[in-house]
Amino acid sequence: MAIGEVIESTTAEFTAEARRYDRIPAYGSFVKVRDGNILVYGIVSGAYTGSMDGLSKAKAFFKSLDELKLEQPQIFELLRTEFSCVVVGYEEGGRYHPYYPPTHLGLHLPVEEADDLEVLTISQHLSYLDKTLNSPSGSGEELTAAVIRTAARLQPDPRTYIIKAGRELLRMMNYDTQRLKSVFERVDAV
Amino acid sequence: MKGTILRGSLSGGLEVRLDIGENIEEIKVGTFCVVEGRTHDFFSMVVDEDIEAANPRAFYENLSDNPLLNEIIRGTGIIDKVKIQPMIAINREESRIQPVKSIPSYLSVVREAQEEDVFKIFGRPDRTHFYVGTPLDMDHIPVCIDLKRFIERSNGIFGKSGTGKTFYTRLMLCGMIKSGLCNILVFDMHSEYGWEGEDEDETRKKAKGLKQLFGSKVAIFTLDPESSRNRGVHPDFVVEIPYRSIEAEDIAMVWEELNLNPTALEVIYVLQKHLGQDWLHTFLNMDAFAIKDFADNTGSHEGALQALQRKLFKLQRLPFIKENPADDAVERIMQYLDSGMNVVLEFGHQRSMLAYMLVANILTRRIHELYVKRSEKALGGTRENNIPLVIVIEEAHKFLSPDMSRQTIFGMIAREMRKYNVTLLVVDQRPSGIDPEVHSQLGTKIVALLTEEKDIESVLSGVNNARMLRNVLASLDTKQQAIILGHAVPMPVVIRTRTYDETFYRDITRDDGGNRSRPTSAMGHSAGSSSLPGADQQEEEPSGKEFEDLMKELYGK
Ligand SMILES: Nc1ncnc2c1ncn2[C@@H]1O[C@H](COP(=O)(O)OP(=O)(O)OP(=O)(O)O)[C@@H](O)[C@H]1O
Ligand SMILES: [Mg+2]
Repeated sequence: MAIGEVIESTTAEFTAEARRYDRIPAYGSFVKVRDGNILVYGIVSGAYTGSMDGLSKAKAFFKSLDELKLEQPQIFELLRTEFSCVVVGYEEGGRYHPYYPPTHLGLHLPVEEADDLEVLTISQHLSYLDKTLNSPSGSGEELTAAVIRTAARLQPDPRTYIIKAGRELLRMMNYDTQRLKSVFERVDAV
Repeated sequence: MKGTILRGSLSGGLEVRLDIGENIEEIKVGTFCVVEGRTHDFFSMVVDEDIEAANPRAFYENLSDNPLLNEIIRGTGIIDKVKIQPMIAINREESRIQPVKSIPSYLSVVREAQEEDVFKIFGRPDRTHFYVGTPLDMDHIPVCIDLKRFIERSNGIFGKSGTGKTFYTRLMLCGMIKSGLCNILVFDMHSEYGWEGEDEDETRKKAKGLKQLFGSKVAIFTLDPESSRNRGVHPDFVVEIPYRSIEAEDIAMVWEELNLNPTALEVIYVLQKHLGQDWLHTFLNMDAFAIKDFADNTGSHEGALQALQRKLFKLQRLPFIKENPADDAVERIMQYLDSGMNVVLEFGHQRSMLAYMLVANILTRRIHELYVKRSEKALGGTRENNIPLVIVIEEAHKFLSPDMSRQTIFGMIAREMRKYNVTLLVVDQRPSGIDPEVHSQLGTKIVALLTEEKDIESVLSGVNNARMLRNVLASLDTKQQAIILGHAVPMPVVIRTRTYDETFYRDITRDDGGNRSRPTSAMGHSAGSSSLPGADQQEEEPSGKEFEDLMKELYGK
């Protein structure tokens, strides 16, 4: 089931609008978009919820959510949610490639959550860490920690996986242990 | 040990990055390892270890409270590094031992040496390849000394007191006797080689002597028959030294023991010149008038003569110096040696430096003369017994100090190498006291722990890569570990020495002509011996001129 639709696309990133404003994939989780015969994978790197027109702001009512849903159900109709994703690779002809697809994603394609098996495949290629670390959407360390948490949970031996990922990251960070530390302070020891 | 070459140079040695998961704490300095280069194997020794950070800031990050981070960084951000010194190389295709003239390429794999590597370099145990010990942490692989090469030069066994010099000497003597390549004459100061010696080990307590192991191949001579008998030894011969065989040179050598000053030494030569062969006896029997007379006749100083006489009276207190001995010790020694036996001369209670040096010097001088004559005859075509003789002396720095070594017979023997078929095995705890020139002539050195800087320096003088071996030497165990370097081994190697115990006795007295037994720790005795070639087989051993050239290249001279 599609949870969103692509509304903006570049080689490295795409943005999707969530089908429902209150149902979006988790930060640091994996999503996929079919575009013709390729399947592009991304990692959710941020989200935004605001008013439909994008110009005016939602208004504060100082009531509980339950009260609001009873008294002003229409205001929820006016909300929309977007989420952004970094592109990490694609699948074509049954093979996963841990790099950008030849062309960027088209618009209005449905976005789905990747399943566990797919995540396992993608996360074996640690080069995704490079994409999250240098994510254009801001805090690379935060995002990298999140995706490591996501990927590790699915591994048969999460601790080993985290250590392997950590070693790869340290290299990418030019052996800056301070920076590595700032990532791993956000990864719960397994 | 597993790792890869990180960086290095021909002059400064190689740095090895240990693989993740390797425990640097278990890799000892002195470990024998192999670098598998693209075309060559480089046989090397671990000489140093350190820790390096790819980014030095990593050292200052506090990681101790985060085990996960700690584990990530160990081996990547901060690496354990081992420094190795390549000693020799083998081109895998030609499988020929060569000196190291290049370094292995980046990322070459480094691993611990295995049995076949050790055999390739040091040979397999057989009659002339004596198994002396095992490489560090490889208790089941025998390292051999090439005895043929060993006896070609004078050799040294060094180490602090209590490190096992006497035991290494016993081992080497056993190896040499067993091989039959040479005869041995031991000046046994502490009477520990012939019959039985002490062993500090609580369970063994005693160490067997050569006679106990080799029976009729060994004769025990003694200077102190009573002491020998008290220890249950039946000496083959009691050595007595005639006055007339003591020369001025012999006295000069023990000037310290007799407390002689340079003037006294001059007087001695005057005495010998005027009184001839019987100078000492005559002089000791002179009364005041005779001394005055002699002084007047020769222009020497009467006071000096009197003082000298008082000091030389000390010699009369040595019971083995006789006016007319019943038999000639040198002739007897030669007789035994010529019949293929080995001679241990026990000093018993006569273990003063004075007695030891005097006797060793007098006997050696004459024996050496005989060997020189024989060699000359042999050159002239006459066939004579030409089996090389190895003379063992302890406290060698006394004989071979820079002052002494030029004048004494021992310095001469060390210098002339095997020209006359006589070489030395010197045993000493203070190698820095030995003339550097003599050190440079020593072929093979077996060196146990030394801690004094100058001792370390002296044993390593003239050795390739000496700087690198320093650490190794200073970190040897206090017992049963030694580094062997020089002529009889293609590369320096640190060994745990073979234990001198019942197992060894059994091996060395077995009649198979070799020392075929494997190290016992891992698999017991017979295991594996099927894979060993019998005695005399010397395949894989570079031989002949080519090998000579190689050794020249490796060790110079
Ligand atoms: N190869 C060996 N086999 C068995 N024991 C050994 C061996 N090497 C050393 N030891 C042990 O170490 C002790 C000291 O050795 P050893 O008497 O040879 O020392 P040393 O160097 O000759 O000392 P010193 O300078 O006092 O003569 C021995 O009594 C013995 O217990
Ligand atoms: Mg000793």
